Amino acid sequence: MNTWRIAIKNLSRQKKRSFLLGSAIAFGVLIITLINGFTGSFVENVGENFAHIFAGHIFIDGVEKTPTGKTLYIVRNDNELIQAIEDLEIEYSFLTRHSEFSGTLIFEGESVRQSIIGIDWEDEQYFTGRLILKDGSFENMQNPRSVILSDKIADKLKLQVGDRMLVQLRTYTGQQNVGEFTLAAIILDPGLVGSISGYANKTYVNELLNLAPDEYMTLGLYLPSMDDIDPTAEALYRRLAEDVDLFAREGEEDEVNPFMAIMQQIEEEEWEGLRYRLYTLNDMLSEVEQIVVVLNTAGLIILLILFIIIMVGITNTFRMVMFERIREIGTMRALGIQKGGIRRLFLTEALWIGLGGALAGLAAAALVMVILSQIFWGLDSPIFILLKNGYMTFRLSFLQTAANLGLVAVLTLLAAFFPADKAAKLQPAVALRTQK
Amino acid sequence: MAIVELKDVHKIYPLGKTEVHAVKGVTFEICKGDFISIAGPSGSGKSTILNMIGCIDTPTSGTVIISGQTTDTLSDKEITELRHKEIGFIFQSFNLIPVLNVYENIEFPLLLGKNRPKKNEKKEFIDFLIHEVGLDEWRTHRPNELSGGQRQRVAIARALVTKPRIVLADEPTANLDSVTGEAIIELMKKINRELETTFIFSTHDPTIVEIADHIIRLHDGVVASEERRNREPCRKNEET
Ligand SMILES: Nc1ncnc2c1ncn2[C@@H]1O[C@H](COP(=O)(O)OP(=O)(O)O)[C@@H](O)[C@H]1O
Ligand SMILES: [Mg+2]
Repeated sequence: MNTWRIAIKNLSRQKKRSFLLGSAIAFGVLIITLINGFTGSFVENVGENFAHIFAGHIFIDGVEKTPTGKTLYIVRNDNELIQAIEDLEIEYSFLTRHSEFSGTLIFEGESVRQSIIGIDWEDEQYFTGRLILKDGSFENMQNPRSVILSDKIADKLKLQVGDRMLVQLRTYTGQQNVGEFTLAAIILDPGLVGSISGYANKTYVNELLNLAPDEYMTLGLYLPSMDDIDPTAEALYRRLAEDVDLFAREGEEDEVNPFMAIMQQIEEEEWEGLRYRLYTLNDMLSEVEQIVVVLNTAGLIILLILFIIIMVGITNTFRMVMFERIREIGTMRALGIQKGGIRRLFLTEALWIGLGGALAGLAAAALVMVILSQIFWGLDSPIFILLKNGYMTFRLSFLQTAANLGLVAVLTLLAAFFPADKAAKLQPAVALRTQK
Repeated sequence: MAIVELKDVHKIYPLGKTEVHAVKGVTFEICKGDFISIAGPSGSGKSTILNMIGCIDTPTSGTVIISGQTTDTLSDKEITELRHKEIGFIFQSFNLIPVLNVYENIEFPLLLGKNRPKKNEKKEFIDFLIHEVGLDEWRTHRPNELSGGQRQRVAIARALVTKPRIVLADEPTANLDSVTGEAIIELMKKINRELETTFIFSTHDPTIVEIADHIIRLHDGVVASEERRNREPCRKNEET
């Protein structure tokens, strides 16, 4: 028998009222937990999805400035790059060497701009697993002049699988060139990246770009975990700087995103010969992380507003409770309970409601998360990019959950404090003779 | 030596823009072990005086001395401790804590304060009190399952559990029928004899008044008469 138990017994006196108050708190906690849980896995899912689209986590482009002032994107010889990766013993899942161009696809009088990435289909089997096939087959890539295009592009050009189209492009030195593609497959464009690239065989792309078979433009590294991106990129950059010229990773102005900053340097800086630029998925996704901050802040604001409303409810309830039990308070004081004891009794009651509600809210959130994560939203869902293989995932940080619970506890105590303090300060004789 | 002393005590209640002079200079002594009744018609100031003896209210002027301690210099905390240690309360409308059962209600005062008794000692004494007030079969019942007389018996046991030297009872029989009321006062008297606890109860019922050994009659906020039976005035050298 102590304050805690008496407080619980008191709560059971007005079961409905306690339940409603607890439910309100549970609802607030449910909402914030869902938001936190979703945003917690949001960055990772978006990152993984983009990593698949961009084929990597860390990228190195070769950039050359010719004596006539032309900028060429080419890696002629990657010995130094590979050496650095091996020296650092970087663990990677895949290493890719891609060539890419932006050209015009022409079919029966329709034309459209499209970037095409050259891929080594033998080496990069994993890649097909990441693309969502809508029509055709990846087997068709056996044909050296095959191309895979998104549904949007195929629709625009009214292309069917098996159709042949023309492609107009500039070689890596800027000469006009023309080629021919056969549509091997149509894939889904999840839509959030602007538009996704088309994919063709690297040998043919190199031929069109006038690159030698073993030359390419971008080296990509797939890491085992997204958490490795920044430290690995950092180390790789420092190691490479010993052997080759690199563009700085930071822009001069902090507000531009890091990826754009590197791009600008190529335009604006005075330089000659061969330079490399190293950038990461995180550089390109810095906006995504801002979205997460916005979402979490919005969640917190929602929580605060909810809790201000709930706090008013708690304060009013405890005012009522104080009045209902005024003679009881007087009795307890007469029997020798100190002022602090009365205050503690009320605050403990409030804390029980707060914690009970919060735990119920967490349990409800867990249930909702389990249910939501069972639902298959489809690979062509408009929110595909936020999902993991078409499923919602949630990740809650322990610290954040603990902080939320702490916030709930503090706010409940704060709300109950004024009525509790008033009850504690009642003159025992006054409390005892008050008629309800 | 007196266990309770009132010296020229006045109490003035503010009432809107006017004042009520409820107690107008009351002086008396109560000895250790007294079984005393404060009698008088409604509005004569009985409750006000008991509240001041019980240290749940303070006089406007004058002095209240409990166990030799002048109360007007004590802080709220010290007064609360004094109440807890020295005084038991029995109320007209019982004032049991509704969420607690008979045993827990009696135990409640023991959960407060500094010197908490050992567990088995405590249980033994509570069981003794439950037996003493005749509620052995009701120990796990909640107040709303008891009759008025039974509730007041719980209150008597609760008032005694901290072994106070003074038990105050403000019209303890007013909510009971006359037979039950008399039984309650007889019970209090029995305990007064057995435990030598000082009982001070107020009443306006003449038959109940007669059970007391020492009667202070109030009228309109002043002592109208004082009557001692079977009792001498407090001996000066008596231990308290
Ligand atoms: N809180 C109060 N405010 C104003 N007047 C009061 C208050 N309490 C008691 N009184 C007045 O003081 C007088 C004595 O009251 P009380 O001590 O309750 O008498 P009793 O208990 O003998 O009926 C009465 O006239 C009553 O109206
Ligand atoms: Mg009265």
